[in-house]
Amino acid sequence: MDQLNVHIVIQQFANSGVPMESIILLLLFPLIATFVALLRNIVGIKTFGIYTPTIITFAFYQMGLKYGIAVFLIVIIVGMATRFSLKQFRLLPLPRTAINLTVVTLAVLLSLVFGGSLQRTGFAATAIFPLLIIISLGEKFVAVQIEKGSKQALILATETLIVAIGGYFILSWDVLHVFIGQYPWVILLVIPFNFALGKWTGLRVREYHRFRDVIKKIQ
Amino acid sequence: MFSYFTAGGKILGMNARNLHYIRPHNLKRAIRIADDKLLSKRILNHADIPTPKLIAKISSRTSLEHFDWGILPNSFALKPNRGLGGEGIIVVYGRKKGQKDVWVKSSGSVVTLDDLKNHIQNILDGAFSLSGVPDTAFFEERITLAKEFRPYAYRGIPDIRVIVYNGVPVMAMLRLPTKESHGKANLQQGGVGVGIDLSTGTTTTAVQGKSKVIEYIPGTRLLISGIKIPYWKKILQLAVEAQRASKLGFLGADIAIDRTYGPVFLELNARPGLSIQVANLSGLRRRLERVSGLKIKTIARGIAVGENLFGGEIEEELEVTSGKKVIGSIEQVKLISEDETEIEVEAKIDTGAYSTSIDIELAKQLGFEKTLTAFDKIDLSMYDLQSANEKDLKKELFEKHSSNVPHLKDVAIVFTASGATIRPIVHIQFVMDKTTIDAKVNIIDRSELKYPMIIGKRNLHKFLVDVSK
Repeated sequence: MDQLNVHIVIQQFANSGVPMESIILLLLFPLIATFVALLRNIVGIKTFGIYTPTIITFAFYQMGLKYGIAVFLIVIIVGMATRFSLKQFRLLPLPRTAINLTVVTLAVLLSLVFGGSLQRTGFAATAIFPLLIIISLGEKFVAVQIEKGSKQALILATETLIVAIGGYFILSWDVLHVFIGQYPWVILLVIPFNFALGKWTGLRVREYHRFRDVIKKIQ
Repeated sequence: MFSYFTAGGKILGMNARNLHYIRPHNLKRAIRIADDKLLSKRILNHADIPTPKLIAKISSRTSLEHFDWGILPNSFALKPNRGLGGEGIIVVYGRKKGQKDVWVKSSGSVVTLDDLKNHIQNILDGAFSLSGVPDTAFFEERITLAKEFRPYAYRGIPDIRVIVYNGVPVMAMLRLPTKESHGKANLQQGGVGVGIDLSTGTTTTAVQGKSKVIEYIPGTRLLISGIKIPYWKKILQLAVEAQRASKLGFLGADIAIDRTYGPVFLELNARPGLSIQVANLSGLRRRLERVSGLKIKTIARGIAVGENLFGGEIEEELEVTSGKKVIGSIEQVKLISEDETEIEVEAKIDTGAYSTSIDIELAKQLGFEKTLTAFDKIDLSMYDLQSANEKDLKKELFEKHSSNVPHLKDVAIVFTASGATIRPIVHIQFVMDKTTIDAKVNIIDRSELKYPMIIGKRNLHKFLVDVSK
């Protein structure tokens, strides 16, 4: 990004040695979190909390959408299969989760190697932390699976994925980066916005659908 | 379209439930009680609210190792203390014959002692508790299926959810276990939720799962509406009492009916679900707003308010949409004769009869004595009563006698199983359910019958008849 086009504060931050991209991404983090909150409270999309979809959005951003989704799907599918095959052994929860993580991690590693052998070097060279973030999602998934069943867990995983993909497109919108660079204070607006959101008690878009028969009746 | 959104405003959504009802009315301390089944049990029992009897609890690995399995009765339920949504519960119906330490579950499959130990171990490790915190397992008496519910429940035990707010029961539903829900009375798992009319305890509309409206019990031709819930008053009372005892301002009270003990309190719920609105096809938000701020001093008052505000909705709605009043098969009626004499009687509503009749004695009290005496003088033996000549006959009789029989408005020829009768017809007014009807009624001896008046189709077009009333 052009140093001359950014706000003076950002420029000073950059001069003190913080990489420009880190500054912008950190400033955009609240925006993505707000996006997730908005989808939850106004639309009614359910995700694994607010942290998971937000952080996965950033992992996708680092890894690229294609590889991000690939790893996400591998984690969910392998995680689910492992849980089912471990069920019969009746293990205590933590050791069972550790085995689950082991299998998932190995599966991701193998797929990276496989990707490398197909000359998909971009995939093979994926940074470690975005990978670990997505792998650790597997634990959340298994926890929900135990608490609410596989169907609910799959629904949550799918909706988390959709939200993360949406977040990815916002995050990789160049205009937004330039804009935040120029007007970093704008990001503070998410606070009053979330205040309003936190007091809003209307029906969610999905609830209009869920309660359609009731609405028709009392209309 | 716009009205769609305003109607939506009467429904309680997740946002409003959390912000307006759970957050301010269910304080942390109260929620802690609800999330701890053993603590709930203690607090409810202290307030004389019956719960399934506790048999034993196991809170550590050591006590599991030393547990005396001999104390278990033949049937019991094993539960995690902090389980969510009915997960981790094993219900045992009896011991397998001839085998030691083998039990039969509700599904018909068996559990061994090792299975139970393993399951308890899982409970202790927190496999079923929120965020995996270590938990306690306990055994309690199994609730037996009340015979009234036998045709409607697939395995499992139905229970009744009552939402109580500010001391007033505001909405209720019956939850039925189904094949899809594997015998669990849980909507999320495919159970059926049936709306209940608060004042009568009669079921109305129903939902399966989260939003599918149904009319029949799945897999049967049994109509869901019109089931009368036994012990209804007692159930409402327990729900309101439980709110007082638990201090949960916005409570979902779960109550089951045991074949021997009657209503038994199952569970306090601090975050009651919203599907109850689909089961009742009615919005909670409006109801909660109506109750909010009322000063409810006693339990009885709270129940009365709930019944008055939210009961009889079906009837009211019918009356609004059809413009007709809903009456029962027996109604209190005020009769007004032409000289303004007023007499109140109980009348039988008979949609099988065409016209309205009153008893001779009643007619006399209404001032038709002279009419009857004059009518009796007419010699009717010369007439051949057949439905073919009915019209002409009536005309002839009326024209001939209207001058000498006072108040005579017409003549009726009524054909019954015991033969035909000729009856005088007079004009009266009667008031039923605040509606005044001008009626021509015939007079007949009803002294052998229970009700002195029978109201037929001809005078019922302003009403709908609910035979269960």
